[in-house]
Parts: sequence; structure tokens; C-alpha cells
Amino acid sequence: MNPVISSDIAAQLIALLAVLMLVVQLLLVVQRMLLTSIRLFAVQSLFLAGIGGVVASFHGAVHVYVVVALTLAGKVLFLPWLLDRQVRRMRIVQEIEPLVNFPTSMLLCGGLTVLGYVVARPFTALERLGNNTLAVALTLVLTGFFLMINRRKAITQVLALLTVENGVMLAAVALTTYGMPLVVELCIFFDVLVGVIILGLLVYRIRETFASMDVSKLSQLKG
Amino acid sequence: MTSMHLLTLLLAVPAAAGLACLPLRSRRAMAGLNVLAFGVTLALGLGLLRRVLAGGPVTEGGGFLRADALSAWMVLLIAIVSLATALDAGRYFQRDLAAGVITPGRLREFFVLTPLFAAGMFLVVLADSLGVMWAAVEATALSSVLLVALYNRRTSLEGAWKYVMLGGLGLALALLGTVFIYAAACKNNPLPFPSFNWSHLMTVAPQLDPRLVRLAFVFALVGYGTKAGLAPMHTWLPDAHSEAPSPTSAMLSGVSLKIALYALLRFHILSSACLGAGFSRQLVLALGLLSLFLAAPFILVQDNLKRMLAYSSLEHIGVICVGIGLGTPLTIFGALLHMGYHALTKPVLFFAAGNLHQSYHTLEFRGIGHGVMVTLPVTALGLGLGAVAAAGLPPFGLFFSELTVIGGGIAAGQIAVSVLLLAALIACFGGLLLQLTRILPGQPKVARAHDGRAWDGVPAMGLLLGGLLLFSVWLPPPVLAVLHQAADIIGGRP
Repeated sequence: MNPVISSDIAAQLIALLAVLMLVVQLLLVVQRMLLTSIRLFAVQSLFLAGIGGVVASFHGAVHVYVVVALTLAGKVLFLPWLLDRQVRRMRIVQEIEPLVNFPTSMLLCGGLTVLGYVVARPFTALERLGNNTLAVALTLVLTGFFLMINRRKAITQVLALLTVENGVMLAAVALTTYGMPLVVELCIFFDVLVGVIILGLLVYRIRETFASMDVSKLSQLKG
Repeated sequence: MTSMHLLTLLLAVPAAAGLACLPLRSRRAMAGLNVLAFGVTLALGLGLLRRVLAGGPVTEGGGFLRADALSAWMVLLIAIVSLATALDAGRYFQRDLAAGVITPGRLREFFVLTPLFAAGMFLVVLADSLGVMWAAVEATALSSVLLVALYNRRTSLEGAWKYVMLGGLGLALALLGTVFIYAAACKNNPLPFPSFNWSHLMTVAPQLDPRLVRLAFVFALVGYGTKAGLAPMHTWLPDAHSEAPSPTSAMLSGVSLKIALYALLRFHILSSACLGAGFSRQLVLALGLLSLFLAAPFILVQDNLKRMLAYSSLEHIGVICVGIGLGTPLTIFGALLHMGYHALTKPVLFFAAGNLHQSYHTLEFRGIGHGVMVTLPVTALGLGLGAVAAAGLPPFGLFFSELTVIGGGIAAGQIAVSVLLLAALIACFGGLLLQLTRILPGQPKVARAHDGRAWDGVPAMGLLLGGLLLFSVWLPPPVLAVLHQAADIIGGRP
């Protein structure tokens, strides 16, 4: 157990990477191009993997390296590639006008960030590594929800769900240092992978049937 | 007996059956394999019941899998509903295939995914780790979403999309709740990876940080509550249940909702052990009552048979939650019993609705019109008996379980809750029976030629209705014992 870096630097690095994740999330909220959105998600996952890397090298925890490797392979490379391919195959370039326009969205997300910090406040003492990480994680979850409500393209909704998942995984690191036991992490990873593949299938079928990926057209079922 | 890997087999048999259907081409073979697999799982479930009663909780795989009385009860429900579904699916899809409504590829999808869906549900109730349990709930959502979208119609895609998106959001929140519980387990624990097993957490529950546990329960309630179809997170439920093929609707309504409720129950038991029972109980009670009162008007105004049945499921989930929320041994017992009776009743209604759909090509009451009793007498009998049972009339068991919950509530001095429950039940009762009088009696406007399918669905409906009638008048002692033990687990009296 030889820590490669000192605990102080590790904490600061984690806080920095977490804030970078949040910055990427806010960029996502105001991003209209689908391909760029997918890349932004990949970058956000890269930062999450970076946090895992810092935890792993600081604590010399082998199992966290496994999780980092899975995150890199799955969320930084495979899923973005998959979504990218799908978007290209469907020839859809950009998101239509969101329900709430971009400046207002930005303001709302600022509000959600404050909310995240307020909710996380009683628990900051519990964090073992890095301040503010939990607050950022909760903010990621909240803004992910907002992103999902605000967008109408099915692919963007899938991305929103994935950022929510990133937020939850960040919360796990913030609260428990090492994240969850390996078997649980493996199960979650597998679920996310299969989930996106299935969602992709569904999006493809929606696109074929409706000649559109606009989920606001899915509005026949009422009552 | 100890060398038998019951729990592992319970997971492996349906999973293997699902995968074995991948290369098969014949519908008969796939349906037969499904029936066989679920027959075996039912036998395994009965074996598990015996072992749990004889020697307490069973663990396997180094504590990875664990079954106590509550799990054993859920295993039985999953197995019997899956078996009935497999029995019904063969002939149901034969007709769809002949009508060209689905392709052989989609048909294979059904017979592959349904056993995997069931295996996922078995894992939910058998996994000891709360993290694995979460992943298993997610797996059931993922394996069932393509089943909901099987017909590939516009509306079924819409139903599936709403199901998977709302379910996904709910499960993300449930995962956050799961993380909070693990954080509570990690706090003040020198080990880097303390056990995430529910059975271990129960032993340390009083020492867990109450703030974290409270937060965890709220997230789990909203998250798993969404998947369980609790109001106000139920909006996906009527869409998914009405758009899925009828055998899938039967699985979703008969067991899948209760599996999500089971996941919530594990959190409820844990948080009761940490915080005292009041906190989580009152929340469950409030959502249960809300579901009941939301279901009643929607049952009355529905124009679509399967949507109405979906709202009736919302009602019954509400009854179960009220029973759990009242929290006395009697009401919890009633709630568990209600789960069982409902699992036997609701699939019958969906099978009958499937027959109607295939004969009339619509589920709208107006489109079906009067005279189902004349046109499809056997289906009408199944629908009628199922509806009488679901409405809570004697001699069917739901009457007794509802009475147990209400009576238990009155005995516990919760007069207001009991009266509210009774009022909602009467409203749902009236709504359900009134709606069915729109289609069952009378003379059909258009004389329909008998299409030689009068006996469709009899094996599946007969199995469930027969079981319901039998168990309504006579509960076998082992079932009674396992119910009492399960009620003790939920009530915190191990």
C-alpha cells in the first residue's frame, strides 16, 4: 500500500475532476449537435474514470483499477461509438428546439447546482475524499433529469440517462471512497451496457415506424 | 438434500431455457421448452418452500444467494405466473402468427426473453446483496421492454419507451438509494469493502447512520415505487400493460410489480430496524392510499379493457401497500396473502383479454360491444370469474385478504385508514363490474361466426382459477406457515 500521491493532492485532484464533470454536463445542456453531445458524454466518463484512477493509485486498490478499465472501455469508447454509429446511420444531425431555451436552461441548471450543494451539505462530513464531490454528484443527477425532460430526441434522452448514472457512480465514490463491491460494479456495468444496446434497438424501431426520433410524437396513449 | 443447489438451479433453469430457444425454429418446441422450464422451477420453488420451513433461511454461493420465507413466497408467485404464461403463450402466438400480426423472429424474441425476464425476477428475490438486487431489477426492466414493444405498433413502441425511460429514471434513483445504504455501511467501518448483504446489514442496522438510511429509503421508495407502479409514479403502467402482448401483460401485472415492491420491502425492513417502523411505514401507507384513490376513478372511465385491468392492478398494489403500511402482524399477513391471490387472478383477466383482442381486433369496450357471453362463452366465463375475484367478492380469496387488511386496521385502531380503504375498494368494485356489463351480457350486434377457438386459453386460465378457488377455501399448512414467517420478517420479528 504505497500511495503514489499524497492525500492532499488526491483530494484536490478528485474535486477538480468532479467539477470538470459538472462543467461538461452544463455544456451538454446547451449543446444542440448530437455528435458533439455524444463526445461530451465520453469526456465526462473519462473524468469519472480519472477519479477512479486517482482513488486506485492513492489507495493502491486493485479492484478500483478494474472498474476504471471497464469505465474506459465501456463508457468512454464503446457506448459513444455505438451511439455515434447509430446517429450517423439515421442521418440526424441536430436536436430540435428544446422545450426551455438555452439561456433559461443554463439559469435553471445554476439553480439545480445550488440545490445539489444544499442537499449535500449535511453529508459533507461523511466524505472521505475530496470536498464537494457529493454535491457535484447530486447536481449531475438533477441536471441529468432536467436534460431528459427538456429534450425531445430519443438519443439525447438516452444520453441524459447515462449522465444521471455517471452522477450516481460519482456519489458512490464520494460517499464510500472505493465505490461499491466489485460484483455490484460489474452487474451495474453490464446493465448499463445491455441497457444502451436495447435502448438503441428501440430508438431504431421508433425511427423506422414514426420516421422520426422525436419522442414528443409518442403521445397517443392517454388516461 | 444439502447437496442440492436449489437456488442456483432456480436461476439457471429459466436462463438456460431462454438461451436454448435461440437456435430453435418451431413455435411448438419453444413453447414446450418454456412450459417445461417453468414446470421445473415451480417444483424447485416447492422444494425451496419445504427447505425454508424445515431449516430456516437457505444460502448458497458463499452467501451470494439467500432465501428466507419472504423470498420463498415470491419464488412461488413468479413460478406459477410464469408457468401459466408459458401455457397460454403457445396458442396465443399461434393465432397471432397465423394472422400475420407478428413475425417468427419476434416470436422467438418472446420465448427467449420471457424466461430471462423470469430469471431476472428470481435473482431479485434470491440475491442477498442489495447492489445485486438492484442490478437484477434493472435486468427485469431491460428484458421486459422488448416484450412490451413486441408488436412494433406505434402505440406499443410508445408504451415501451415510456416504460423504459420512466423505469430508468426510477431505477437511477433506486441506485442512489442503494449507494446511500452502502455509504451507511462503510461509515465507521475500518474494512475497505464491508458486506453489502441485506442479512449482514440487518445485524448492524441499529448502528447505521439514521440520516443516510432515511435518505436511502426515500430514494428507494421513489425508485422501486416507480417500477412497482405506485401512484404518483404509475403513469407508465397502463401504457405498458395495455400495449404488451397479453401473456407479457400477465407477467408484468401478476408478478413484476410485486417484485419491485419486494425490493422496496427489503429497504423498508432495514430502515425499520434502524429508524423504528414509523417512518417508512407511514410513507408506504400514504402512497398505497393514493394509488387506491387514483385507481378508482380511472377504472370507471377507461374505454380500453387492458388499460382498465392495469388500473385495477394499481388498486391491488395499493391494497398491498396499505397492508404493509398499517404494519400489524395481521395486516402484513393479509397483504402477503393478497399478493398471492392477485397473482392468481390478474393473469386470467389478461389471458381472457388477449382472446377478446384476437377475436374482435380491438380492446375498446365500444368496439367489442355487448354479447361476449354469446360469442366467446369460455373466455367470457374466465373474464367474469376473474373480474368477480378481482373486485373482491366471495368466495374468492381476494375478498378474505382484503377483509384481513381492513379488519387488522380496525383492530389496530386505524379506523380512518380502514374506512378509506373500504371506500376505495367499493368504488373499484363498482367500477370494474359496471365496465364489464358493457361487454359481457346481451346479444351481439353482429352475429360472429364461431372461429373454432372457443376453448382458447382454457389450460392457463383453468390452472390459475382452479388454484385460486382451491386456495381460497383451503390454504395448505406449509403455505400458511411460510406466510406467517414472511409476515414476521416484514414486521421485524425474526
